[in-house]
Amino acid sequence: MSKQQVPLIVGVIIISFLMIFPFVYTANNYPYVMHIMIAGFFYAILTSSWSMLAGYGGQFSFGHMGFTGIGAYTTALFCHYIYLSPEATNICTEFSVGSQYLVIVNPIGITSSTLVQDCLREAMSIWDGSVKVTPMPVWLGIILGIAMGGLFGLLIGLLVLPLRAAYLALFTLGFTEILRAVISSELDITRGQAGLELPKLFENGITIFGRHFDKTDPLPPYFVMLFLLFFCLGVLYWLAQSKFGLFIRALREDQDAAAALGVNTTKYKIMLFVITSMMAAAAGAFFAHYIGIISPNNLMILQMSLVVSMAVIAGIENIFAAAIGAIIIEFTLETLRTSFDVPLIGVEVDMTVWRLVIFGALLMITLRLSRNGIIAPIINYFLRGHVADETVAKRKVSDSSEESA
Amino acid sequence: MTFWGVVGAFGTRRAYLKKDMDTSNAGYIGSMIGAATGPVGLIALWLKTPETRKSLLVVPPIAAFALLAISFAFADPSNSCVTNGSFVASQISNGIILGILYGFMALGLTLIYSILGVVSFAHGDFYMIGGMAAYYVTMVWFPGVNPLFGIGFACVSTFILGAVFERIFLTPMYDGRIDRPVEYGILVTFGLAFTLQYFIAATVGSNPVKAKRYFDFPRLHWPSKEDPWLLKTRRGGLELFDTITISNPRFTAAVVCIIVLLMLLYFLHRTWTGKALRAVSLDREAAAITGINPNRMNMLAFALGGMLAALAGALLVQAFSWLPQVGAIPAMRSFVIIVLGGLGSLPGAFVGGIIVGLVESAGTGCIPDPQKAASYIPAYGGIVLLLTLLLRPTGLFGRRFSGGSHGKFG
Repeated sequence: MSKQQVPLIVGVIIISFLMIFPFVYTANNYPYVMHIMIAGFFYAILTSSWSMLAGYGGQFSFGHMGFTGIGAYTTALFCHYIYLSPEATNICTEFSVGSQYLVIVNPIGITSSTLVQDCLREAMSIWDGSVKVTPMPVWLGIILGIAMGGLFGLLIGLLVLPLRAAYLALFTLGFTEILRAVISSELDITRGQAGLELPKLFENGITIFGRHFDKTDPLPPYFVMLFLLFFCLGVLYWLAQSKFGLFIRALREDQDAAAALGVNTTKYKIMLFVITSMMAAAAGAFFAHYIGIISPNNLMILQMSLVVSMAVIAGIENIFAAAIGAIIIEFTLETLRTSFDVPLIGVEVDMTVWRLVIFGALLMITLRLSRNGIIAPIINYFLRGHVADETVAKRKVSDSSEESA
Repeated sequence: MTFWGVVGAFGTRRAYLKKDMDTSNAGYIGSMIGAATGPVGLIALWLKTPETRKSLLVVPPIAAFALLAISFAFADPSNSCVTNGSFVASQISNGIILGILYGFMALGLTLIYSILGVVSFAHGDFYMIGGMAAYYVTMVWFPGVNPLFGIGFACVSTFILGAVFERIFLTPMYDGRIDRPVEYGILVTFGLAFTLQYFIAATVGSNPVKAKRYFDFPRLHWPSKEDPWLLKTRRGGLELFDTITISNPRFTAAVVCIIVLLMLLYFLHRTWTGKALRAVSLDREAAAITGINPNRMNMLAFALGGMLAALAGALLVQAFSWLPQVGAIPAMRSFVIIVLGGLGSLPGAFVGGIIVGLVESAGTGCIPDPQKAASYIPAYGGIVLLLTLLLRPTGLFGRRFSGGSHGKFG
């Protein structure tokens, strides 16, 4: 067994562990652990796609959480306001589609009384149960969410074409702020801070291999998120090691030089934005349906800083390292939600607040001491251990020759 | 109006490119003329394609803004922004006072940028630390002490914090040990922000705190006690011309900011160290040749920039209640301001601050639905930011060929 095979074997072990984990784990806190795992997959998708954007492409966008929000809110609004009804309500805005009517419910915002009803509920109380209204399928909402994420990715990609480094970071930050302000202000439609409820991923439960899963059963969403993660990693890996990956890395190192050598920088930059923001939107849409509620707080800079820190600590220039790191960090952060007594001084330390301090310090120290993060160098050691010396030596030579020049 | 603005932004660039002229300001001029005059002005502009002149840069935006204001007035004639003159006056004065404070904070950020070429994401947390330090000195550790000590302690502690952080974490940027120093700078200050915020949350807790008023106004009535139409003061505030009320903490903060600003200007223009700082921001290598140590200046700039933010925080802790998360909003505003004023430009930061203050107070005062207006506050800044970056990325006073490091150290 050569050194290069180690990461492959470890990868296979991790994958098979994740595949069989929900079947063998039977401790009391099963739902809690499953929830953490699903959240870990969610962050892993975000982190690996962000590391593609920032680590490979050098586009330091702080708007990744914004795309997640776009995906989640698109499907939430879609499922919340659009229904199919076999009869016309005559109160709502509606279009006839074949034998059915597509009903668009009027937004009523947040009301404390039950007296104010939206038009569909009014119509249903008139029908008194004689007409069965069907909500739109969840998967259609998710597809729309992903498409919307791609659309906004295209828009942002076009707008940020001339911007670099700090300007890009500020632009995407401003974009997220506007998005968050709009969502939390348009109370009538998005219900602001109160959050928008979504149907569960499998609202009526699902039967796989003859076994019926309830809608609250964490197993189907676990595998949905896991396969989404695998799919995203697969696409990202394929992109990273194809010509696309080479081009965007060239773009990161020197955009002008890349353009001079014939790389269509405009095209690849926009493609990069579209693909990564679609992944973020997909993660957001699936996760929102799993959680069942979405509020503008999910777009906060804190969430973004979590993604950024996970990517940096694990290794920003390796998508697999970023994904693994995200799961591990999410798990560590959750298990640290405890408090303990310091034995000698008798002071109680509440780790719930201190864990984030440690996390931030870890981020800074990792950056300072090991720019490639913690996990990426380990993978590189096994994969490229035999080439590293040579390139480092070359770099040393070129550095010293530059200095003398 | 919006439509013609967008058409102008794209079309004008085309027209200038066709004639093989400088397009760096074409989008900006085109969008402003398009917004102000519609197709008439645009076609004239495309046919003539005049050289970029100062008047072209200044007049169209003012015209566009005036058009916007007039159309707003006609669209909603009963709005208090149109009918009530004293309301407008107090909104404007409020905007200017806020703008001075914002501008002061942004000054620190732009100082850091002009020397290090890094946008410090920890700026809001220096602001928060400054407020916390002043609160602890004046309220908890030494109650009743002169507030100047609190402010002084805030300044000194953040100056040291900034200097130490720069020495430990930012030095690898300078000698090419890091491939992309700008990104490294963003990330590492981001990490500092994260750490500081949660450190304060862990030690202080997340209950809001607020310092007592630093200073009481003497009772003044001017010109006469019976009819003080010019100036009337209470302990907690003052009233000008019977219409404009300014609360005491804000007024004190703004006055102190102006005093410190003058001191800063003196420092930058009249002392050796200040001149050295400006020299490094203009041309790093030339400054090094004349015997200035640029890396020492990096440390000074980072510490000084953080200190300015902390000073703003220490002055405002008497006006707002203080939380560990309080820095996020002013940090965002500072980003907006320095981009609007031009990254690295000191006067730009101050003018930009006043503009952003005015835009915000106009936005909150004039939008009919008060609840919506308040929750849209973060968006006004964001819109200003996006528009500036899209139309004129150099900002109002941005230097086209600025020196400094801009990420290219060594």
